[in-house]
Amino acid sequence: MKQLISIEINGEVHELAVAPQDSLLHVLREELGLIGTKKGCDTGGCGCCTVQIDGRAVYSCMTYAMSVQGKPVVTIEGITENGQLDPLQQAFIDAGAVQCGYCTCGTIMAARELLATVPDPDESQIRHAIAGNLCRCTGYQKIVDAIKLAAANSA
Amino acid sequence: MSLTTLENYFLPGSGGEVVQLLQEYGERAMILAGGSFVHGLAARNLLPGVDVFIDIQKLGLADIVAGSGGLEIGAMARLADLASVSEIREDAAWGALSDALRCPPVQIMNTATVGGNIAAACPYFDLPTAFLAIGASVRTEGSSGSREIDLEDFFTGLFENSLAQEEFLTGVALSRPEPGSASAFVKLETNANDLAIVNAAVHMTVDESGACQAARVALGGGVNEIPLRSAAAEKLLTGQVITDELPAKVGQAVQADISPMADHRASAEYRSAMASVLTERALRSAIARMTGGN
Repeated sequence: MKQLISIEINGEVHELAVAPQDSLLHVLREELGLIGTKKGCDTGGCGCCTVQIDGRAVYSCMTYAMSVQGKPVVTIEGITENGQLDPLQQAFIDAGAVQCGYCTCGTIMAARELLATVPDPDESQIRHAIAGNLCRCTGYQKIVDAIKLAAANSA
Repeated sequence: MSLTTLENYFLPGSGGEVVQLLQEYGERAMILAGGSFVHGLAARNLLPGVDVFIDIQKLGLADIVAGSGGLEIGAMARLADLASVSEIREDAAWGALSDALRCPPVQIMNTATVGGNIAAACPYFDLPTAFLAIGASVRTEGSSGSREIDLEDFFTGLFENSLAQEEFLTGVALSRPEPGSASAFVKLETNANDLAIVNAAVHMTVDESGACQAARVALGGGVNEIPLRSAAAEKLLTGQVITDELPAKVGQAVQADISPMADHRASAEYRSAMASVLTERALRSAIARMTGGN
């Protein structure tokens, strides 16, 4: 039985009818067309569905839509301000940290929590912060470089 | 997409309402805390007969309160909340906990709850092993009021706990450790995100002469259907002066208490061999903490 709920996503409140088992990922992609958040394993193992809830990086595939009522959600679409890319987005481009791109949005959303709490992270802190995000292309080095670059550019 | 189809998703505002819902729906209902584990089961259609979730986030059980008696951890406290408690990060006696909390990726730390991690009764989780070594009790609320259950009596089987049908977990209590205590936890896993093949934790209190006054040795990760303490290892360790040869002997002693499972992660023989290795490593790590290292 669907229920009517309201969810705040990227600063905008949406009223939606969701089924009790619907994940936040499902609602973002299938109901709202916010397809920057990717669906990979859909079981909380790959990280490409990462979004921020209350500023914390979480897997949207294992988050029930019903559970995020009253909690602000930020997706990759919400981090660009007035057409200006987030420092992490720009750094991923500049460092060449994107290959196929499927993991990129989730990795940026995980890195975003890190830079908000640790503005000048060392390499081990960066690697720990993205340990929940799998990339099959880059070997991670350029992703780590990009996060370092974003931190330096934001300093 | 979830393979489990739900009829309803409740967000009750009080413990009384939770108990009422449990009474009304019986085995059709499942308590939802962070949802990281429940989601995994639902996605694989491993929740037969469950079609109602009771999300307990509105009960205000997310606080972690440090008092003179110890630490009271609300069931809905996230693993990240627990990891941020300064006493857990800094007190050698609770070192096993901070070790265990270094394992999960950030997204799980931000989602999984302390209560869910215990109530799941999953033998492959890390926190139960660390809690067993440190010594913890579980607080519950149910149709006949609240009660406190020693964590050792809580796990009854694979994914089974001693909660009554109309009862749910509200928190975990840790007693303040004796002076001169240290603990450590180690985990063997196939990759950064995986469940444990074997994990082990040791908590010990050493007197001024350097002898071990009290010890608790716990193992998990499929060394049995439940995480458990090794009485044989504890007996061997207690009363002994710590020597360089002792950790290997204590590691061997756990063999008397384990009956490892075989699955796609590891054979029973491998788990058995690793249980001794990991116990030895956990003990060496606890000893190093005791003597001032970290």
